[in-house]
Amino acid sequence: MQIKKNHDMNSDVSPEIICAPATPEGYSALAVIRVSGAGSFDLIERIMSLKAGRLRGTRRKLGIISEKGEIVDEVIAFSWPAGRSYTGEEMVEITCHGVPEIIRKIMDILIRHGAGKADNGEFTRRAFMSGKLNAIQIMALASIWNEGRETGNISGRFSRECEEFIILIDKAKELLEGDIEFGESHLDSERKVILKEFSSLIEASETLVKRAGNIEVGQKVFLMGPFNSGKSTLFNILAGGKALVSDIPGTTRDGTRKNIEIRGRKVILCDTAGTGGEGLDLQASKAVLEEIQEFDKVVWMSQDGRKKPPEELSGKSPEILEVASKCDLNPVSRQTSGKHGEIRKLSSVTGEGISLIEEWISTSPGNMSLAGAVDRIVNHILKAEEFVTGDEFGIASEHLNEAEREIRSILGKGENLTLSVERALSSMCVGK
Amino acid sequence: MNISDNTFDVIVVGGGHAGIEAVLAAERMGCSVMLITAKYGRIGEMSCNPAIGGIAKGTLVREIDSLDGSMGKAADATRLHFRMLNRRKGPAVWGPRVQSDADAYAHFQRQNLAERGIVIIEDEVLALEGHTEKPEGIRCRKNGVIYGRTVVLAVGTFLRGRLFRGQNEWRGGRIGDITADNLEEDIRRRLFHVERFKTGTPARIVRTSVDTSDLIIQESEKTDFSFSMDRNALPIKHEICYLTKTNRNTMMAAKEYMHLSPLLAGRIDGTGPRYCPSYEDKVVKFPEREQHNIYVEPMGKRSRMFYLNGLSSSLPAEAQEKMVRTLPGFKKAVIAVYGYAVEYSFINYTEITPALRLRRTENVFVAGQMCGTSGYEEAAAQGLIAGANAARAVKRVPQHTPSRSNSYLGVMIDDIVSKGTDEPYRLFSSRAENRLYIRQDNAGRRLYEFGRSLGVLSERKSLLLEAEMNEAAEIEKVLKKSIIDGCQAELWCRRPGAEAERLVELIPMLSSFRMDTIFSVMLDEKYSGYIKRSMKRDESRRRASSVNLSNIASYMEIKEICWEAREVLEKAKPRTLADAEKIPGIRPTDLEGLLLYLAGKRFTWNNSLNTETK
Repeated sequence: MQIKKNHDMNSDVSPEIICAPATPEGYSALAVIRVSGAGSFDLIERIMSLKAGRLRGTRRKLGIISEKGEIVDEVIAFSWPAGRSYTGEEMVEITCHGVPEIIRKIMDILIRHGAGKADNGEFTRRAFMSGKLNAIQIMALASIWNEGRETGNISGRFSRECEEFIILIDKAKELLEGDIEFGESHLDSERKVILKEFSSLIEASETLVKRAGNIEVGQKVFLMGPFNSGKSTLFNILAGGKALVSDIPGTTRDGTRKNIEIRGRKVILCDTAGTGGEGLDLQASKAVLEEIQEFDKVVWMSQDGRKKPPEELSGKSPEILEVASKCDLNPVSRQTSGKHGEIRKLSSVTGEGISLIEEWISTSPGNMSLAGAVDRIVNHILKAEEFVTGDEFGIASEHLNEAEREIRSILGKGENLTLSVERALSSMCVGK
Repeated sequence: MNISDNTFDVIVVGGGHAGIEAVLAAERMGCSVMLITAKYGRIGEMSCNPAIGGIAKGTLVREIDSLDGSMGKAADATRLHFRMLNRRKGPAVWGPRVQSDADAYAHFQRQNLAERGIVIIEDEVLALEGHTEKPEGIRCRKNGVIYGRTVVLAVGTFLRGRLFRGQNEWRGGRIGDITADNLEEDIRRRLFHVERFKTGTPARIVRTSVDTSDLIIQESEKTDFSFSMDRNALPIKHEICYLTKTNRNTMMAAKEYMHLSPLLAGRIDGTGPRYCPSYEDKVVKFPEREQHNIYVEPMGKRSRMFYLNGLSSSLPAEAQEKMVRTLPGFKKAVIAVYGYAVEYSFINYTEITPALRLRRTENVFVAGQMCGTSGYEEAAAQGLIAGANAARAVKRVPQHTPSRSNSYLGVMIDDIVSKGTDEPYRLFSSRAENRLYIRQDNAGRRLYEFGRSLGVLSERKSLLLEAEMNEAAEIEKVLKKSIIDGCQAELWCRRPGAEAERLVELIPMLSSFRMDTIFSVMLDEKYSGYIKRSMKRDESRRRASSVNLSNIASYMEIKEICWEAREVLEKAKPRTLADAEKIPGIRPTDLEGLLLYLAGKRFTWNNSLNTETK
């Protein structure tokens, strides 16, 4: 009864059941269409003309999908009950023949029967909402998806490391609290033991930082600036690859991007068209501005630091580093500081300033990111250690609690990580 | 006068630490009160160790004093030895602790009751009189029925108390006392959910039989610290306490008799306190650790007994003697009273409201070990709240209970009535979420508002508290406008190593204020960042948990939460978010989702805190 009721509810504007092809477009032997949400069983049973209840549980059913008496395809439906599927909801995967026309027709039928077309990563979002996947697992999933190479086990090596880290925090906390409550019953101070526990905690946190940098996807670093300011040269140095470089202004119009690792931190490095152009160039640089989000980074380059970043850019409030490029040509620079702090000197010829830029990219990850959260955790642990040495056990304990809260929010549905998760989800394909 | 011709406003059963505070609190609130006890001579007795205070407990004593209770005054007046525990771990976790003269302490309390003109009757209470919903009083063995508008039960370990030592078992709530089997029977008959706990006490040693030259001396701190803000004259002379350690032989002696332990032989069913274990427990749980600290504490100035803190035991007398004599300095020790274990009944937390009333009655309150706690301080604090709420019930004003965000009192009561406990509950500083705020130095300021609204403060105490509040406000003002080393004085206080004495040197204007208050305000400043953060968390938690869910017609259509949770919630129909949280299978993400949904619906927050639920 419940399912029935739910299905009726789904025919209104915001559908509860979602569907999407889970396999690539084009011709193939077979294709899979995913359907998820309460009422999915009922819906599929109807369009496959199965008896009610046939799909309840983990089942496999052969059947025919037809439209106006005409057979569309013979398909197999695999069902998973709520709680045991990828999304955590009732879910059905329809395996049909891999003909675009058939897939389109089946999708049409599903939508006519009340299902909605899924958004990017919506299946995964539901898995997240139902507690099937945590934030880290989603980010790991996205990083595999986006790069096609493995960065970690989806089942969550990092999650496991976080869990282990919590155990370490708890151990340190137990020692600390034990010493606060019962310290008087042993005369010899336990302080040394506590500090020893802290040092292993700090060691473990360093590993955590490295992993977090690896797992996170999608932070973009834009190289921007006027024409011919040396963006592509810097891109090539950082990426170690080949962007088309020439001395003719406007060579990089479409922009080039590459997933790279800078000092252990993964970013998407984006070369952009020079600003200040007209026509296509103007459109290209406008498109870049559209794309930039608050958690991204921008290296703003201009020869000798003469050009200021445009207002629109500051308005998006990404982190900005101003760079005076080609400093080998102008050894004496007049501009030393801009709106976003000190202007760094850079020379692609001498290599001056490169490592500084690398460092800037690899550190200060921003509040909304996983790496940011891990950074805060490390900070709290260091503070806790400092306060044990400084005879303030109460404060030390507060910092340990904060560290634990932060790490639990990574594992659970952390408020702080919503942006990271959203970013990861939107980078996935529709059927994921 | 025939006692049964009267109807008392508040009848308090039990003359222990809880009973005393309960009867005094009700009396301060203008009620006609009566205390009934099995033995007049054992009112205010320290049944176990002769000490008051400790980590968190010491702060609790200051809170009791801020509500005009008597425990702090009694501890101050009878102290033999003082130490501020955790002196080197930061003022947020300091724990004042005194050794008291046990006899003097009890005498002080009896005197106190006499001065307040409290009617005291020596009798055994057999039962509540009348319907469970609203008993009319109590039925006693000698005096028959005594009528009372409210009853406070604070009977400690007397509810079907059983004492154990080795193979011996006998009836009693404490050595040399009766057991309240009839009352326990009556409580069971009224279908209150009753469980069993156990606790124990170590042997008392004849002082002259101990060679103290073999013991480590524990000098008292020289201090003008007092628990009570009344700052009555303090005893000047201190007694010395000692420290000794167990060794391999102590352990062997215990092991030899272990099979005779009533606990390990399974004759005691009740759960004992994990944090105050018997020596046998320690041997079983930490077999690798031969050395345990044993504090040797004089029971009083004139007392001829030492208390052996840390050697609680219910092994046979013979075993106890062997164990004690393995301790350095105790080779020829003579035991005056052997240690024993006591098993007793207490009332399950689900029966108790935050005002410490038995939920199914209108007018019966409970406090102390009956609620599953252990410790004098915990008992006294509950007694005060139970007594005050009994008085409020008589006056027909709403019940009132402290909040866990600003006192250990609130933390403790919230813990015992909402979570229950599977061992005798002891207060720890880590139980408080706002530990950096709930300190011993600011108890008066923290509890002033609550004390006033509870109505438990005498006029004199009110004035003292107000003076302290004003003084603190004045000091804050001075700090706000003063500059030290080019930085604001407030910020200077946050520096590591900033001291009150130095502050007064730098700002001479402060010298007219009391040093204690200056120190306390400095700490507020020092911890302010942390306190603010935890208050904020607390606030959102409180708001969240008091969110009213009763307006939700159907959970089945709330898309923010997962399907299984919808079904569970639909069935349970929780009243508030806090209730929802307690439902098995509901995860934090579901609660967040629910909040999201409600935020969308613009439901109003239900801020009616502290109001008791029936």
